Amino acid sequence: MDIISQLQEQTNKIAALTFNTFGTLQRDSPAVKLSPNYPEPPANPTEDAANFAEQPKLMSAALVQAAKQFDALVAALPLADGGEEAQLKRIAELQAENDTVGQELQRQLEAAEEELKQVRELFSQAADNCLNLKKPD
Amino acid sequence: MATATYPPPPPYYKLYKDYLQDPKSAPEPPPPIEGTYICYGANYTTDDVLPSLEEQGVRQLYPKGPNIDFKKELRSLNRELQLHILELADILVERPSQYARRVEEISLIFKNLHHLLNSLRPHQARATLIHILELQIKRRKQAVEDIKRRREEAQALLKESLESLEDTGASLMLK
Repeated sequence: MDIISQLQEQTNKIAALTFNTFGTLQRDSPAVKLSPNYPEPPANPTEDAANFAEQPKLMSAALVQAAKQFDALVAALPLADGGEEAQLKRIAELQAENDTVGQELQRQLEAAEEELKQVRELFSQAADNCLNLKKPD
Repeated sequence: MATATYPPPPPYYKLYKDYLQDPKSAPEPPPPIEGTYICYGANYTTDDVLPSLEEQGVRQLYPKGPNIDFKKELRSLNRELQLHILELADILVERPSQYARRVEEISLIFKNLHHLLNSLRPHQARATLIHILELQIKRRKQAVEDIKRRREEAQALLKESLESLEDTGASLMLK
């Protein structure tokens, strides 16, 4: 995939990681006591406490990794910065060169076809002579 | 289940009856459309240009100007994005009701990022064109070399055969 599409995919991946991170943390986090008057929240020591402590670490590590990958891709952009005019100038030069080379090719081709015609002519004459197929004069 | 027959093809084919004998007796193909055209009731334009961010009502975060340093802007937008994500996390911990503005800013950064990447596409197209032209020039030069070489080989062969014929002719004459 070309580099710009990879960059676009990487931005979308960062976005997905971001909202997955916040969504998961918000959904799975244990309840928080808002005021000392309220009773203690019921503690469910099922899978929450164990896995939950690593989840923020893992997800934020993934986010930072994705951001670093984005930077690496940006560094790999082959932007030989000449701007639009330099590119257009180069295109015009290449077109001119292409035309001259094309004309040269055309000339060579025509000359080669001419020679091919002559060789065929000679060959048919030689073959006629060998087989004595000359018309009776 | 009711089915309708397909509509008949347009009747223009009758105009091309004598095309094989006289290619000019038939009408030319229509010229390409310029400007806007209507297709199935919707308006389309032939001028394919990326609309600028202001036209879409989105604030532009990177500086405007003729030549933008894409790499620098992309990197700085990436850093801004990370900072805003951290800010959102902080806000959600301390003042959760104020998430909306932060989320809006994050989506603004994403829109700017995508717009920057899209505006790199014309540059990519021109670079691809340059690459294709270079390849074509290389192939044509190669073909010219090939033809020259073959012609020379053919000439050499002809000369050789001519010499051998003369030799055999000379030897026959001498006998």
